[in-house]
Amino acid sequence: MSMFDYDARPVTPVPVLVGTTTSRGAYAIRDFLSRNGYPFEWVDAGQPDAVRAVLGVAEVEPSALPLCILPDGSRLPAATVEQVAAGLGMVAAPSLPEYDLTIVGAGPAGLAAAVNAASEGLRTIVVEAVAPGGQAGTTSMIENYLGFPNGISGSELAIRATVQARRFGAELLLARPLVGVSADGPGYVAELSDGTLIRGRAVLFASGVEWRRLDVPGVDDLLGAGVYYGAGPSEALACTGSRVVVVGGGNSAGQAVVRFSRYAQQVTLLVRGRDLGASMSQYLIDHVTAIPNVEVRVRTQVVGVEADDRLRAVIVRSGDSTAVRSPADALFICIGGAPRNDGAAGIGLVTNTAGYLVTGSDVAREPGSDWPLPTEPLPLETNRPGVFAAGDVRCGSVKRCAAAIGEGSMAVALVHRRLAEAGGD
Amino acid sequence: MTDQQVVAHPDAAVSAEFTELASDERIAKAAAALERNGIRSLLAATGADARALVGSLLTAGAEVYNNTSQTLEAIGVADDIERSGRYQPLRLRLYRMDREMQRREMRILATSPDYVVGSVHALTEGGSLVIASASGSQLGPLVSGAGHVILVIGAQKIVGDVATGMRRIYEYCYPLEDARARRAYGVASGVNNILIINKVMTPGRVTAVIVKERLGF
Repeated sequence: MSMFDYDARPVTPVPVLVGTTTSRGAYAIRDFLSRNGYPFEWVDAGQPDAVRAVLGVAEVEPSALPLCILPDGSRLPAATVEQVAAGLGMVAAPSLPEYDLTIVGAGPAGLAAAVNAASEGLRTIVVEAVAPGGQAGTTSMIENYLGFPNGISGSELAIRATVQARRFGAELLLARPLVGVSADGPGYVAELSDGTLIRGRAVLFASGVEWRRLDVPGVDDLLGAGVYYGAGPSEALACTGSRVVVVGGGNSAGQAVVRFSRYAQQVTLLVRGRDLGASMSQYLIDHVTAIPNVEVRVRTQVVGVEADDRLRAVIVRSGDSTAVRSPADALFICIGGAPRNDGAAGIGLVTNTAGYLVTGSDVAREPGSDWPLPTEPLPLETNRPGVFAAGDVRCGSVKRCAAAIGEGSMAVALVHRRLAEAGGD
Repeated sequence: MTDQQVVAHPDAAVSAEFTELASDERIAKAAAALERNGIRSLLAATGADARALVGSLLTAGAEVYNNTSQTLEAIGVADDIERSGRYQPLRLRLYRMDREMQRREMRILATSPDYVVGSVHALTEGGSLVIASASGSQLGPLVSGAGHVILVIGAQKIVGDVATGMRRIYEYCYPLEDARARRAYGVASGVNNILIINKVMTPGRVTAVIVKERLGF
């Protein structure tokens, strides 16, 4: 028995990822593994000694990067997220020919629905493009979630919920996005990006939102090379001693600031609005503004970036003043959100102008909703009977984790009612 | 990852004393004493048998923490816990947690698993378990934090009494562990904490699997 027991590293081999710090592909894999809670070792291909330690040679052919060494020793040159996910056994097929409920998205709303549906006996499957937890899963610490007086990290909440859902029998399919939903008799068929088909008597869209792109020239070219969308938990350690800029005024931006302030030399939060109070919880405002190495700049936005092979500075403008260059090693963009409604158009789900799914009594007010039943849609039900929406993707939802969990839980009762009316429940 | 390779002990006489497998008679004596002390004892002829026994003791879906242990690595239990998908392996969960933001969650997870699986440095013929630790972090769960404790013990670790068990730690285990720690982690180890379990008051909480093979050190 080891006496050196404070080290909690896995005893068995973990996958090793070798790549450059400016590689978008390497970042995508780091982000995927990190958000799925999969332990891995990162090796910077620019560090010859580190490369030699894992590969026996000091250099790797650039075309082979990012290179992933799986725990069984096999190698994936020029690896992609899909290949790594498959290589690690994270890609599963549905076990049943039909489910009572197909849930799209494994964020707070989707996981809450999965737990409630599976615990009540519904044959339940969840499809998730990236990782359980959604945007909340990248949150460093949720301090206002009921029952956790000392807070709980988003990733821990996601892991617990995932374990809970699986314990009740819900299936989770990861790493493949939904590409379409079509009607199939009284039910629906969901198709994933790899062609997997899932038949479900009811569907719940809990697909959440994705980060809104920062419309500044050059930003997207630097994705993974100093520019990141979201709180980037996989990048926190790499920010040690660096200058970090976070853009956004919501809770996600605030959480990112708290996380990076623990590692970075300086964190600057850029907020377009007049103050933080419009979109950030007060407890988080108090927290952010009390951190010594954090500077909050309101009425300020990014208007440009400077880079060589990676980000070196951001150009910011405050109010009507002239643009100013501000050195930066990393830029984390946490602005707003665009609804992830992929697949919704295939069955004609109506959305508002921003793309959020319209539900309940609001459906009747939407032109072209084409609701086929004599009674109104149930609350959270879209304009297609048996297709529901919950959480951030739903038009009119409160963009908070607890609210999404409430909607996901509530949706299951409504699914039950719809299935009962359709017969066979 | 730990380093599987164990370096040779610098003192041949010490090594000979503490690497010899106990006789069937001494194993039976220690096992009976463990039972009297409230510790369930199971015998395994081989590492493979011990692996199967441990698997039969763990509940599917449980949170399991496997202590760093050459014994567990050698017989495949570490792999079963971390890779089989049958359990929630806490080492994997802890490894990827943010040490700055999730320190509190890490502490809670590490100290109160459903099961902790590990080994000991000595088992006495009187049924006492002796365990040394550099940081002490593994000792709390063994004493009371973990719901269940499973200890896999190679029969070469059986000693006559606690005093000999202490000598086994200082004279035999420590030099080997220190060399391993320096090689694997680049730091020295230390006999900073020692736990002696003489008796367990909660029936069924602690199980010792004695293996008639030389496992770990």
